[in-house]
Amino acid sequence: MRKATLVMATVLVATAASLMAAETTRWVERTKVDVRAGRGSYYEIVDTVLKGEQVEIVETEGGWVSVRTPRAKTGWVFAAALSAKPVQPGGGSDFFKVAPGDASTSRTAASQGAKGLYAQDYAKAKGYDYTVVEWVEGHQPNGPQVEAFLKDTAESAGGRR
Amino acid sequence: MSRARGVLVGGIVAVLAVGCAGLDVGNVLEGGMKLVQSADTFRGAAAEIDEPEEVELGRAVTALIGSRYPLLRNEALTRYVALVGNAVAIRSDRPDMRYYFGVLDTDDLNALAAPGGYIFITRGVLGLMRDEAMLAGVLGHEVGHISLRHHAKSIKAEKRKAALKTGAEVGMTFTRASVLTPAVGLTIDGLGELALKGFSREEEGESDGVGFKYAAAAGYDPAGLRDFLQTLKDRGGKEAAVSSFMSTHPGAEERLREQEAAVAKNTTPGRRNAARFQQALARIQKR
Repeated sequence: MRKATLVMATVLVATAASLMAAETTRWVERTKVDVRAGRGSYYEIVDTVLKGEQVEIVETEGGWVSVRTPRAKTGWVFAAALSAKPVQPGGGSDFFKVAPGDASTSRTAASQGAKGLYAQDYAKAKGYDYTVVEWVEGHQPNGPQVEAFLKDTAESAGGRR
Repeated sequence: MSRARGVLVGGIVAVLAVGCAGLDVGNVLEGGMKLVQSADTFRGAAAEIDEPEEVELGRAVTALIGSRYPLLRNEALTRYVALVGNAVAIRSDRPDMRYYFGVLDTDDLNALAAPGGYIFITRGVLGLMRDEAMLAGVLGHEVGHISLRHHAKSIKAEKRKAALKTGAEVGMTFTRASVLTPAVGLTIDGLGELALKGFSREEEGESDGVGFKYAAAAGYDPAGLRDFLQTLKDRGGKEAAVSSFMSTHPGAEERLREQEAAVAKNTTPGRRNAARFQQALARIQKR
């Protein structure tokens, strides 16, 4: 009797754990998604997840989801980038057409694209100054600066200064 | 219809479409034959682009824009424009997109959006503005082009043209040796010209509509874009720069009327932030 109860309890706990895991697990639906330090695209990137990778939800707020990545990093992604059902890796447009199913190669391609190697080749071939791109990308406000600006703007609400 | 026949028909339609655009017929037919021979090539041209590809194209187009106009490398002014831009962009339909803002050092009047979130405004345009609401209105309009994915259609069209000209793979296929193909180069050239010359009248109108919405949601007086268009109208054809802006943003009169109607319906007051704008703009004179 005691043994049967123990087995039943174990099954129940396992089932509950499985259901809870299903509720908190999501799959990346887009080719490449940057995981950021805050709820906004202007926050620094803490990790990058690729299509089909599995993440665990930590919390949800205002259309953004805090997730734990397969590399044990925690950060925010936009909810629409995730699926509640498993997603096959790969796909996407031609840019990442690499060996199918080769996650490491996809990752290399994604990171190379992220560094602007394709655009650099184009600029070099045309004789264009690629530092224009680097300068623009390097002089954007960061997360805290944007948040401070938004706060300052909100505090001036009502005053048509 | 089988995939092969679909590709064949699609290829013929594309050949005819490009032929109508005035390209050399011999080249087009030759390109068309190559296209039919390679179903995968056409499939690549028609494929939807994803965000990494869009961003990469945006970087390349930004380099092209930088070759036409010098970039104003003023850190404080660039950061201010980007702060206003981000305030509007987070209210857009693509709030998770990373947006980059820059100022072009020219008296020319232009504001442009490259694929992938790269937005530029000229010093000439900033000089015509009186307050932050006008800046938010114009940047909201440019964010609208990206948010509504107006480039996607053009990217497909430019890829098709490039495929017809070269008969080559049009995707930015990753290879370890060489990443830039002539087809990719042609695609970027076409997108760069589009960014510089502007979108269609219909797309400009769509961007006005959402730009108005984004600026209002960010707490700005959404009349800012209307006021900017009115300023341009008041200056009229007296200045070559105004005429040039009108040519890159078609239907200015009609757009102004549409903005007037939207402003009339709007009941929520918003901020103008004239003092903060003037303070930021003073940085141009001080440099």
